[in-house]
Amino acid sequence: MARLIMFHGRECPHCKRMMPLVEKLEQESGIVFDKLEVWHEEKNADLMRSHREDLAPKCGSQLRVPTFFNPETKDAVCGELPYEKLKDWALKQ
Amino acid sequence: MKKRYWRCFVCNDIHYGVAPPELCPTCKVLNAYVEVSADEARKILGGGPGAAITPGEFRAAIERFAAGQEFQVNPDRDKVDLLVRGIFENERNHGLKYCPCRLCTKVWEEDLKIVCPCHFTIHETYKGLAEGECWCGLFVRRK
Repeated sequence: MARLIMFHGRECPHCKRMMPLVEKLEQESGIVFDKLEVWHEEKNADLMRSHREDLAPKCGSQLRVPTFFNPETKDAVCGELPYEKLKDWALKQ
Repeated sequence: MKKRYWRCFVCNDIHYGVAPPELCPTCKVLNAYVEVSADEARKILGGGPGAAITPGEFRAAIERFAAGQEFQVNPDRDKVDLLVRGIFENERNHGLKYCPCRLCTKVWEEDLKIVCPCHFTIHETYKGLAEGECWCGLFVRRK
């Protein structure tokens, strides 16, 4: 199973809304997301910036949170997603 | 075109742009702007009384900003509370009121695009959705 990342921000309402859905998906599927906060943890922010070329084209040309990312395939989705859409994305990784 | 700093020699208003305003919006004097250095402008902007803005003043400012526009401040108070907290955390930790739902690239010109309030009416989340809101949800289309 690929190692997936959720880049999120502590004061981002979309991230706050997605977090319980991510946890539900983890419990139901066994998939684990590395949840990396980017506004208060500079090391996580630098990691996200290092993937800018892969992330920005999929997220309105910017670095946005929440972003769900597979560092192996470089596939990413971002924003507030319905549970089923997040699940479909995660299961195909 | 490169933006430069301009100071009104009558009332010390600062303008950042490719050219100064003809009419100073504060003292109403014509052709009163002279070019100054970035350091000089920063000293004038940062050193005076009332230079800081409180979260309450910021909320009042964005309400005025949205008044009469096609967008309004999100009526979801909890969401706005969280966002304003993030905006002020980002200013304290990173220098400007960056959007808590995006991330600085560390490229100055790029990062100016994510200072709140941003130019959100060009974003796909505002243009493309019936409920239209800015990326973070601070503003929504007025009903």
